[in-house]
Amino acid sequence: MHQNIARDGKLASTDAHLSLEGVCKSYGNFTAVSKLDLGVRKGELIALLGPSGCGKTTTLRMIAGLIQPSGGRIAVAGREVTFAPPYARDMGLVFQSYALFPHMTVARNVAFGLEMRKLARSEIAARVEKALDMVQLRHLAERKPRELSGGQQQRVALARALVIEPSILLLDEPLSNLDAKLRDEMRTQIRDIQQELGITTVFVTHDQVEALSMCDRVVVMRGGAVEQVGTPHEIYEEPATSFVASFVGRTNRLKGIREGKGAVRLGPELVRISSYVADGEIELMIRPHRISIAWHEGQPVGNAADGENRLTASLARITFIGDLVQYHFHSAGGEIIVEQATARDTSQRRVGDMATLSWRVEDTFAFGAER
Amino acid sequence: MENHQTSLPMKIVVAVLFLFLLAPVLLVFPISFSGEQILSFPPESWSFRWYAALANNSQMMSAFTTSLGLALVVTVLSLAIGIPAAYAIVRLKVAGSQIWYNLFTAPLLLPTIVLGLAILIIFASTGLLGTFTGLVIGHLVVTLPYALRVLAVSLGNLELACEEAASSLGAKPLTVVRRVTLPMMAPGIVATAVLAFLVSFDEVVITMFLAGPRLTTLPVALFHHVESQADPLVASVSVLLVLLTLAIVLVVDRTLGLTRTFVK
Ligand SMILES: Nc1ncnc2c1ncn2[C@@H]1O[C@H](COP(=O)(O)OP(=O)(O)OP(=O)(O)O)[C@@H](O)[C@H]1O
Ligand SMILES: [Mg+2]
Repeated sequence: MHQNIARDGKLASTDAHLSLEGVCKSYGNFTAVSKLDLGVRKGELIALLGPSGCGKTTTLRMIAGLIQPSGGRIAVAGREVTFAPPYARDMGLVFQSYALFPHMTVARNVAFGLEMRKLARSEIAARVEKALDMVQLRHLAERKPRELSGGQQQRVALARALVIEPSILLLDEPLSNLDAKLRDEMRTQIRDIQQELGITTVFVTHDQVEALSMCDRVVVMRGGAVEQVGTPHEIYEEPATSFVASFVGRTNRLKGIREGKGAVRLGPELVRISSYVADGEIELMIRPHRISIAWHEGQPVGNAADGENRLTASLARITFIGDLVQYHFHSAGGEIIVEQATARDTSQRRVGDMATLSWRVEDTFAFGAER
Repeated sequence: MENHQTSLPMKIVVAVLFLFLLAPVLLVFPISFSGEQILSFPPESWSFRWYAALANNSQMMSAFTTSLGLALVVTVLSLAIGIPAAYAIVRLKVAGSQIWYNLFTAPLLLPTIVLGLAILIIFASTGLLGTFTGLVIGHLVVTLPYALRVLAVSLGNLELACEEAASSLGAKPLTVVRRVTLPMMAPGIVATAVLAFLVSFDEVVITMFLAGPRLTTLPVALFHHVESQADPLVASVSVLLVLLTLAIVLVVDRTLGLTRTFVK
């Protein structure tokens, strides 16, 4: 779908609706965002995903024009806006702290952007009503923000940003205060509206499920820099760094030493890897649900199939979490967790039971160990 | 307000304190209804004669009008100067804004008598002595530091995000100020207005230096009156002043809430 998007996230400059080139922000000698390159195409929904303090909000505020970058340039539709004032950017912004106007009713809050655009009264009223319907808050139109719950305020903030049908929508964790059900609904709603209107959207979140489930592409950030840009599938199946592998989805981390061209030694056992990485100490990562278990029950386990890795391990603990069971094993490479759908025989397993764990070579992510 | 549980000893302490603070003010009420010729407590007879005397005292009445007009003009000017100044210092962070802020609020720390003397010396050579303009300027020297301080704190406590949101919704800077910043500052502005009004209305020291025989304010007129006569007229004037203050405070409380205006 996005063939012309390079792996590092740069787009041919004509293709990107919103583009950031080498954007930096430093406070004194602390660098909050360093050399950020990013291209977002028209109508795309892109997530900025990363742990707290990694520079997501800072990046978003630079795009909105609320803070000036220390370096680099930002362009919208080929026009440079790096130092353009926020009011001239036509961007809808939802703040992490909502930032509703406390002295205005919900309806007036939502109408504000339309009033600034000097629309006719009747049109403003109609669009405000529509926007409030969309976030299911029409019945609260005459309330003041302080008379609303956190989740309701968040939805007002969303309506206020969407109602102006901005060319770019910037969302700073817009769903963090909603309960699970409402959050699911709002996700679908945001996605629908965004696609219907073709609004280029940057969505900041530290919730990987949110990033993977609703976005076209995900930018994984860490310490002010981009670790990887890719489709949710790429991020999950081909993590570029061990940080991405461990931040997105659950993963096992095993430590070993490189041996020969395509293998890593874990104590007495060898694990094959599909691509060359650094020499010396290697970190292996395997998703818990990609591993299968062959319990040692008298009869010998057959030979390893082609393209399969194996590791002998002993059961240390079982955690039952409803639909899933987690088996915690001791192995030569350290602790390994295997997840399986719950089955009838789950409760028969005992601590100390031996098993052969196997998984496909291409499911083995190998990275040079971080110092 | 939340319901605080106050212990009995604490309640007693508070009650005694209030009594101590309010006793002189409360005392004025019975004295103002005295029928006597001179100030005494308790009065031996009762009457409204000192209120009637006040109404017929043209000097007091014109001093009252002057004070009222002066306080209103000073209040309006304090806001008109204080709001842009606070905005420039807190929001625009113009060069050296901390120095400006300290400079502007410094008169709060100076003895008013020194200020009065200084102003007297300057005014004496510019012909502003004994004029309404002179009084306005003199009072502004005292009210502006208060105004700036209260307004700067009130603006500083506002979440910047609301103004940012308005700006990203398409509002130009002046529109942001008009539609978002000022309404959000409303409690601070009301507090400043009340403070400036009361400070100006109460001002004695500086006014003594600047007022002339034909133009004087109520507190100064009262002061001179007490110097020459010891009749209960001062008590009836005091009662009216207390009631005026109370009325202002009540209006503020009804419209905005006292705690919201002065405590936050
Ligand atoms: N005004 C400032 N002065 C100094 N440092 C700042 C300032 N604003 C942000 N930072 C720092 O920049 C870094 C990035 O902040 P940012 O708000 O972008 O994080 P974030 O990724 O949005 O985190 P969160 O998920 O917690 O919202 C943080 O380490 C923060 O402490
Ligand atoms: Mg943030």
